[in-house]
Amino acid sequence: MNEFLDMGGYGKYLWPAFALGFGIVVLNLVLALNSLTSAKQEAKRRMEMSQ
Amino acid sequence: MATWTWFHRLASPPHVYAFARRWTPWFGGFAALAMCAALYGGLVLAPEDYQQKDAFRMVYVHAPTAWLSLMIYTTMAVAAAVGLIWRMKVAHAAAAACAPVGAWFTVAALGTGMLWGKPMWGAYWVWDPRLTAELVLLFLYFGYMGLRAGIEDPAKADKASAVLAVVGVINVPIIKFSVEWWNSLHQTATVMQMGKPKMDFDMLWPLLLMFLAFALYFVAVLLIRLRAELLRRERNASWVREVLA
Repeated sequence: MNEFLDMGGYGKYLWPAFALGFGIVVLNLVLALNSLTSAKQEAKRRMEMSQ
Repeated sequence: MATWTWFHRLASPPHVYAFARRWTPWFGGFAALAMCAALYGGLVLAPEDYQQKDAFRMVYVHAPTAWLSLMIYTTMAVAAAVGLIWRMKVAHAAAAACAPVGAWFTVAALGTGMLWGKPMWGAYWVWDPRLTAELVLLFLYFGYMGLRAGIEDPAKADKASAVLAVVGVINVPIIKFSVEWWNSLHQTATVMQMGKPKMDFDMLWPLLLMFLAFALYFVAVLLIRLRAELLRRERNASWVREVLA
């Protein structure tokens, strides 16, 4: 396991690179879902105001 | 005739909204599965490189993020051009939805590239043509988003930002061919080249699978953001009331 994490001495560069890349993958999904939720709430508010 | 019917339906916000809602889980689900398989293939199954040893495995995150940063810009420019030529609001909405995702993936490409550059080149950053052109790409995304945010009238914001997106697409081939046109520390293409890729198949398949996973993921995120854009733009339309009822 330690050998796998060490990646031949390159682990200190490799794992932060994967954390950054896949962190941005997760972050983009969260930001997109938040944007959709707030757009829905905004549209619903406008609907209620116009009624 | 069927092609034009399909094209006209693409211009209809309620149709695009319904399509996006129906297909997002499929694109997202397949992207997640493909990413897991590609990660296992790249980190566990692929043999180490004879020169770069295990450091080469950074290709499985760096290359897909860099490729996506270019693909998203190209998609954004094509959508912007369609919006300009056919005055299609959905196309402008799609271009606007692309920008933040593309900017984030340019950050990922630059960051993962820096982490690969340190052990291979001895420096996190060099003013190399490929790296510099990728940084220009990030500024183009910022410029596009800044321009949209700075113009109050949505129609004017659509037009002005679309012109910037279309003009800026010239940077995409510059990034792609920079390693051939100028002396560069960055390695030349190993996968996307004419003829046979330089990589061994055991190393290649996880990378190709990761490209596919990132492409599917981008479509899923784009469809979510597109729905949000359409709701904001069409907030007074009757179809929005029906969808949210």
